[in-house]
Amino acid sequence: MSNKYIALPKGISEKTFDSAIGDFRSVLGDAAVLTSAQQLAPYIKTMMPVPDSDHTPSAALMATTVEEIQKIVGICNRYKVPIWTISTGKNLGYGSAAPVERGQVVLDLKRMNRILEVDKDLAYALVEPGVTYKQLYDHIAEHKLGLWLSMPAPSAIAGPVGNTLDRGVGYTPYGEHFLFACGMEVVLANGEVLRTGMGSMPNSNTWQVFKWGYGPYLDGIFTQSNYGIVTKFGFWLMPAPPAFKPFVIQYENEEDIVEIVEIIRPLRISGVIPNAVVIAHALYEAPVKARRSDYVTGPGSIPDAAVRKLAKDHHLGIWNLYAALYGTPEQNEVNWKIVTQAFGKSGKAKILTEREAGDDPAFKYRASLMRGDMTLQEFSLYNWRGGGGSMWFAPVSQARGSETLKQMALTKEILAKYGLDYSGEFIVGMRDMHHIVDVLYDKTDPGQVKAAYQCFDELLTIFSAQGYGTYRVNTAFMDKVAETYGPVQRQVHKTLKKALDPNGILAPGKSGIR
Amino acid sequence: MRKKKSVRTVTALMLSISVAAAMMADIARAAAETNADKGFRWRNGAEVYSKVCSYCHEGQVGPRLFGRELPPEYTRAVVRNGNRAMPPFRTSEIDDESLAKLAEYIQRN
Ligand SMILES: Cc1cc2nc3c(=O)[nH]c(=O)nc-3n(C[C@H](O)[C@H](O)[C@H](O)COP(=O)(O)OP(=O)(O)OC[C@H]3O[C@@H](n4cnc5c(N)ncnc54)[C@H](O)[C@@H]3O)c2cc1C
Ligand code: HEC
Repeated sequence: MSNKYIALPKGISEKTFDSAIGDFRSVLGDAAVLTSAQQLAPYIKTMMPVPDSDHTPSAALMATTVEEIQKIVGICNRYKVPIWTISTGKNLGYGSAAPVERGQVVLDLKRMNRILEVDKDLAYALVEPGVTYKQLYDHIAEHKLGLWLSMPAPSAIAGPVGNTLDRGVGYTPYGEHFLFACGMEVVLANGEVLRTGMGSMPNSNTWQVFKWGYGPYLDGIFTQSNYGIVTKFGFWLMPAPPAFKPFVIQYENEEDIVEIVEIIRPLRISGVIPNAVVIAHALYEAPVKARRSDYVTGPGSIPDAAVRKLAKDHHLGIWNLYAALYGTPEQNEVNWKIVTQAFGKSGKAKILTEREAGDDPAFKYRASLMRGDMTLQEFSLYNWRGGGGSMWFAPVSQARGSETLKQMALTKEILAKYGLDYSGEFIVGMRDMHHIVDVLYDKTDPGQVKAAYQCFDELLTIFSAQGYGTYRVNTAFMDKVAETYGPVQRQVHKTLKKALDPNGILAPGKSGIR
Repeated sequence: MRKKKSVRTVTALMLSISVAAAMMADIARAAAETNADKGFRWRNGAEVYSKVCSYCHEGQVGPRLFGRELPPEYTRAVVRNGNRAMPPFRTSEIDDESLAKLAEYIQRN
């Protein structure tokens, strides 16, 4: 055990690490190389049910230029020191800013935060990794560019580069973020700088307008991966529509998810409803309005009767479908007729618009998300159990009613075994739905920590046995999920890793790739 | 509810005076390859409060921070270490100097 450092990279002696740190300092200056416990504190706290010491970094480097990063990878190769790259570093519920393995050096690109270009006509942006959605939002407002962002619920404090590289999602028509990515600059492990797609050609001005370039499309291999360090990132923005009509459709029973999904699928595939919709369970929306302790005391998951009472008291459906129309008022009117007719048929749906629900705090924050406005209201989830424990369980489902019901029931059953609540929603897709469940627990309660870990492990085991894969996972379970996708994919990932990063210096363990 | 409104006005004000960052980003297009532009920097504690903290601490997620004369050392410690449901913020996000100003700003308000 080292005294000088709070952790060391696997297999690296203190002496070797000393030399590496010395070299990092000569590139970045002393102030940008953090090694003390106090300096590293904000990189250590995670929301996962494992000891923070499992993911404690040995150091953090605050680089601001491509040249510095090239020099850093040179040093890493020389000493075989692994780095874990973050952009805005707010991957909360997926591992936060901490590395996948203890002792990795965090390469923190938050200070590399220039907005390089926002093209009003072609509606795209090119940014550096440290740019937050808030920074970009203010820039667009300042310059009256008339463009909308799509961002995840942590909006103001997260950023497009980290979010999209982890294949995150938002709630506007551009909500499946990687679909709207266009062109990356990547520092490779050997220090070379690759610009993907049209960016490879000198003097090209089509880097941010044509995704594919020539030959195999490479951008995908730099997402959820450890094959490179992305230093510039292009993506498309949505022109502000002339009119925006958010709405919520509420249903009273859990089984109604079948009807909701069967109705929404054709509307999504045909584009009548253009945005990444959310079908949120009452327990996902409840924390915005209610306290858990008002409805249940003692251990165990919240009973159905309490959920029904809560939903009634706070004007929530057991399911709440949030969606919106974007277009001219005339277009929206036509589509609104189609929507209300489709959902009106069975008589089970309660359809509310801004007029009826505009003051409702849940509706308000959902409407903000669907128009790309900043809100952190969804963090109310953390008050449900308290104590700052959270992991996202994120299996992919077909957009088929029977499948979503089956996944919901299975998830709820497993959570209940461990005394945890079903804080779930189905989001985004046309043909798929991301089934997103916040596994909330009190991290200050050792009993709940243990239960949450075992529960999450069981969720992954049972779901994969049924052929349900997860789209993204926290750093404590990356190997387990990689395993569920089978040996051939794992081997291909490994082959690419060997070719692109033979010394294994870039985030070994990310997505189970080493 | 009344309180909330006044904060939104403050936010709008902060937005309208955020010229420096925007101008820098504007010239970035030309300077992209030379790194002449230094990117975003906080101007004062109020700006950090309105652009980060207020979204949780005025919106029922976290407790109110104003009117409590919270000691600056306490605020700085919570921001750097996080606490339970409060996420920590790194020096790369909020530099030490801006955090000191922020903590004083919170104590004063
Ligand atoms: C209440 C709540 C709600 C949430 N809602 C959503 C949501 O709606 N949608 C959603 O997608 N997520 C959501 N999240 C999860 C998460 O907070 C967001 O996805 C967030 O955008 C990720 O953090 P970031 O943007 O700061 O990315 P970062 O933390 O910077 O990056 C994420 C990961 O990408 C990789 N990476 C980052 N930068 C680079 C780089 N330059 N080169 C190579 N690899 C890199 C790293 O593996 C890193 O761990 C939510 C979290 C909370 C707590
Ligand atoms: C994502 C939401 C979020 C953001 C952003 C946020 N906080 Fe918090 N904060 C919380 C929550 C939630 C708590 C309560 C934590 C707990 O006790 O579980 C909290 C607690 C605190 C406390 C302790 C309050 C007390 O009563 O003891 C302080 C101080 C604090 N935050 C300061 C800040 C500052 C300063 C900022 C801006 C840099 C900030 N927070 C940004 C969510 C947030």
